[in-house]
Parts: sequence; C-alpha cells; structure tokens
Amino acid sequence: MRGVLGRFREVDATVAAINALKRQPSTGVTVYSPAPDHSIADAIDAPVSVVRRYALIGGLCGMTFGYWIPIYISKWWPLVVGGKPVPSWIPYTIISFELMVLIGALSTVAGLFINARLPDLRLTVGYDARFSDGEYGVWVECLPEQAKAVTETLRRSGAVEVRNEP
Amino acid sequence: MATSAPPYPIAGGDGAPRPNVATGDRRLPAVRDYEQVTREITSVLRPTVAWFIGLSIAILFMLTGAGAWMYQIHEGLGVAGYHPPVMWAVYIVSFVFWVGIGHAGTLISAILYLFRAGFRTTIYRCAEVMTVFAVMTAGLFPVLHLGRPWKFFWLIPYPHWRWIWPQFKSPLVWDVFAILTYLTVSATFLYIGLLPDLAVLRDHDTNPVRKKIFATLSLGWRNSDREWRHFARAYLFLAALATPLVLSVHSVVSFDFAMANTPGWHATIFPPYFVAGAIFSGIGMVFTIIIPLRKWFGFKHYVTLNDLDASAKLCLFTSMVVGCAYLTEFYIGWYSGNRIEHEFWWNRVFGQWWWAAWIMLICNMVLPLSLFSQKLRRNTTWLFILSLFINLGMWFERFVIIVPSLSHEFEPWQWAGYQATWVDFAILCGSFGWFFMWFLLFVKQLPILAISEVKEIVPPKRRQMIAAASVGVGGGD
Repeated sequence: MRGVLGRFREVDATVAAINALKRQPSTGVTVYSPAPDHSIADAIDAPVSVVRRYALIGGLCGMTFGYWIPIYISKWWPLVVGGKPVPSWIPYTIISFELMVLIGALSTVAGLFINARLPDLRLTVGYDARFSDGEYGVWVECLPEQAKAVTETLRRSGAVEVRNEP
Repeated sequence: MATSAPPYPIAGGDGAPRPNVATGDRRLPAVRDYEQVTREITSVLRPTVAWFIGLSIAILFMLTGAGAWMYQIHEGLGVAGYHPPVMWAVYIVSFVFWVGIGHAGTLISAILYLFRAGFRTTIYRCAEVMTVFAVMTAGLFPVLHLGRPWKFFWLIPYPHWRWIWPQFKSPLVWDVFAILTYLTVSATFLYIGLLPDLAVLRDHDTNPVRKKIFATLSLGWRNSDREWRHFARAYLFLAALATPLVLSVHSVVSFDFAMANTPGWHATIFPPYFVAGAIFSGIGMVFTIIIPLRKWFGFKHYVTLNDLDASAKLCLFTSMVVGCAYLTEFYIGWYSGNRIEHEFWWNRVFGQWWWAAWIMLICNMVLPLSLFSQKLRRNTTWLFILSLFINLGMWFERFVIIVPSLSHEFEPWQWAGYQATWVDFAILCGSFGWFFMWFLLFVKQLPILAISEVKEIVPPKRRQMIAAASVGVGGGD
C-alpha cells in the first residue's frame, strides 16, 4: 500500500485538504482525527453506517431465541395444570427481552468490528501517533506518479508535514 | 461520541469556536486544546504510595470476606444467622444493594447520552466502571447464599444427560438472565467506549510491555473517519439497547419479592420503586467515588461544580420518587383496611424494626431534601457526607424490605427475629473490598475520564485561532 500522508494542526485545514483532494484522481482518502468531528464527516460525505442493521437483525434473532428456548423446554415436560397451555408467554417475554438486548448489543459490536475492520493490529504505514493526541492526518493512497500532485495539494491546504510512505 | 445531530455553527455569535457535538452548552474553559486533555488525563496513571495503601486495605477487606465464606462453607449457612422463617437476609440485601449501585452507571452513560445531557461527559466513565464492578460484586451474593455454591451453574439452561431444565416461570431464573445480560452489556459498553482511549495510551506509553498490551486491547484503533463513523452509530445503538435494560434489570430483581405472597412484598409498585431506588443509590455511590477522585487527581476543571450540581438535582429527584414510593406503601397499607397489612406496617415502622425503618427514612427521604439548596448542591464536602448517608440508607431500605416481611408473615406463630452474625458483616466488608480493589486497579491503569469524549467538547484548533495566538504573542513581545 503506497501513498502520501499529510499531517495537519487545524481542523479547517484538514477539511480544505479533503475538499481539494476530491478534485484529484486517487484511490482513497482516509482522515485521522483525535475526536470525531462533524465538519470532517461532512467533507468526506460518507454514507450512513450500516451498523444499525446488525442491531436490528441481532435484536430480532435474540427475541426469537428468547421465546423459543423456554417454550421448547416447557414442552419437554408437558405438565398440564388446570387445563392451561404449558408455555406461559408472559414470563417468557422477560427472557425474550433480555436475550433481545444481549444479542442485539453483541451484534452491534460485531457490526462495528466488521465495518470498521477491527481488529487490525498492523500499524505499519499511513499513521502517526500524534493523530490520537491533537493533530489530524490525511492519508491518500495513490500511484507513485500521482504522489507529487497530492503532496502539493496537501501542502497548499496547510499540512505541516507531508511524507511519502512506505 | 459523535452523533448524527446537526453540528454547531463553526463560530458562535461572539465569534468563539463552538464544540462540534450536540452536548448542550457544556464548556471547559480551563481546557485549551486536545493535547492538554491527553496530557492531564494520562498523567494520573502513575501509581502512588497512597494508591498502594488504598489497594492493600481493599485487598485485606476482600480476604476477610473470603475467609468468612470459607468458614461458612465448612460450617453451613447457619453461621450466617439464618433460621426459619428468615432465610433471606444480609446476602440478598447486599445483592439488591450492589445491583442498585450498578444502575447509575448505565443511566449516566446511556440514558443521559440519549438525552444529550452535557454534564455526563466527565463523570460517565467513572460511573460505567462502577457499574461493571458493582454488578460483578452483586453476582457473588446469590452464589454465597447457596448451600453448595459450586452448583451455581444449575440455573443456566444447558443440555445434559437427564434433560432437566430450570423453571422459566421462576423469578430467580429471570434474575440470572437479567443480571448476566446487564453485566455483559455494561462491560461491552465500557470496553467499546474505551477503544479510542486505549489507542491514546498505546501511542503515548513509553513502556514497551504496556504499549504492547494497549496495542492489543485497542484492536488497532487508528482514529480514522471510517472507524469514527461506525463507532458513533454503534455507540448510539448500544446506548439505545442499554436504556430499557437499566429499567428492566431492577424490575426483574423486584419480581423476586413482588411475585411472592408475603406481606410487604406482593405489590405492583415494586418495579418503579426499585428502579428509582437503584438510580438514587447509584448516584450516591458516584458522589462517594468521584468527589475524592476529582480532588486527588486534580480534575476539578473537568468535573466541575456545575456537573456535580446537575447530578445533585438528579439525586434529589430520585430521592423524592423513592420517598413518594415509601409514603404510597404506607398509605396503601392503611387504605386497604386489611388488619394484617395494618399490623405489618405498624411493626415495620414503629415496632420490631423501627430503627432500620427510620435510618432508611431519614437517610433517603429527609437528608436529600437539603439538595434544594444550591449552596449545598455545590458544596463537595456536604455532597460527599450525604452520599455516605445515602449508601447507608439504601442498604437499610433493602434490609427493611426483606427482613421485616419474612419475620412477620401472616400467622403469629411464624413471627420471629433476626440477628446478623460476624460472618454476614465480614462478607459485606469483603464485598466492599472486592469492589474497591477492582476500582483502584482500574483508575491507575486506564483513564477514568473519557479522553476522546472530553476532546469532543473542547473546540478544535482552527487557522484563525492559531493566527490570533501568534499575533497576541507578537504583540506582547
């Protein structure tokens, strides 16, 4: 993976770089920021996260499983009392609710990991430890012949350091 | 964490930069930039002599409790003061107490997050950590209460050769599901919120071993736009899922009592009454922990008096809900016209258990009324003292619910007394030791304030700010 990494001190300079890079051919732009920032998110204009679907599907699966397991177990020993149905849905709703929350929450986390591509323990290129402190980074994946133009764009936008990696 | 709410304008009416997230009007005037946040919050992670002393005391308490438990396993549950009809006492009281303590964490981190309450930002990590360790502590008590504690897993439905399953219509089985779900979701919520902070520690720690541990725990988090986008959405949904869970868990715990046909227990008021009490006691414990911490760690400019004031208002509100529940119980007891109910309530408040009932009423209903005074809400010494009374009062609330009901059921021949033994007290002290041991270990290994969330409310650097700063420096010269 080859590219150019620009380091910025200010958020508006970072946003200016993102907007300028949109007008250039490159394979991909990744922006690093110490905290989430709406102006960066607006400049990137990425689609809404699909994590919500994981939460919905996980919650529905958990709810179904939460009803199924006590009903299945009740029917294993069908002791009829007073002619009433053996499965009792009101207390089973408690189990169903708890499992809906549990599996919904775990699916949400799975959705986060899958979509954010975590875990990824290879901190090799395109990152700087200062991005978790107070500075911003723009990593542009590009071909070697495009690197010069990208470097120029990043510098013009206000990058304090630009380096080609690897 | 970032939300999908529309951003603030870049500059407010006064031209000053504004925070980039919708967290009310929360500002930290003494915090200038992101680097300061990282530096100050990570600087307290070095162990000190006072911390070692505190940790040693906590471990000593825990070992005392563990020793008492071993003695109880050898001698039997009788050493804990159990004799018919009082077969639930200090252990179940402590179980409900610790589950209750665990409620404020998720309330503050999830519910107040959804409500965009800005004051939660600097206290929520502490409350979340408290939640996880309090629920871990609570989970010990049903096991301690078993005659054969090594058989605790019988409550979990798993297939085995005799095809015998737990009874899903029993509140005790509901409890297992509720508490395990709550523990798992709370711990997950805490860990997910910690990911960006673990990356900060990975990037700033100089010790290679710790660096490697933080690198693994942070899962390679790099603060990229992709990560933040999915993280914000995942955090929002975790908060949305945790919110009804907060309300459900203590409702389920209250069913342990409300489902039984015992005087004082069989009441529909129990779920809301328990939930309000849990949140009240949890906020009390948050004060007990955060007030000394902000002083020792020098975090007064993060956990400000405004935050404590806002939390104290929440404490006052929940105290009044709890007080209303107490009075409603008394009123319904009187209005029922039932002689057994009259006799039971009279015995609880003026008879055999008057001392416990009045500790409860004074600590939970009367003393918190002082929080109507803004001066006292902003007085940290008073808030700390009050929080100790609240902890005491809420433990006694559970005692008053459990022991008087069991010792004074319908038939007079069943009436009895109850005397806690040294084993009960040793195990109760051990539970505090266990809780504080984990908490103290946490505060010196991981950030007790959420670094990335605090950064969200600090205005980011902009070109105009840098330019203005350099002009200012130049002018001064």
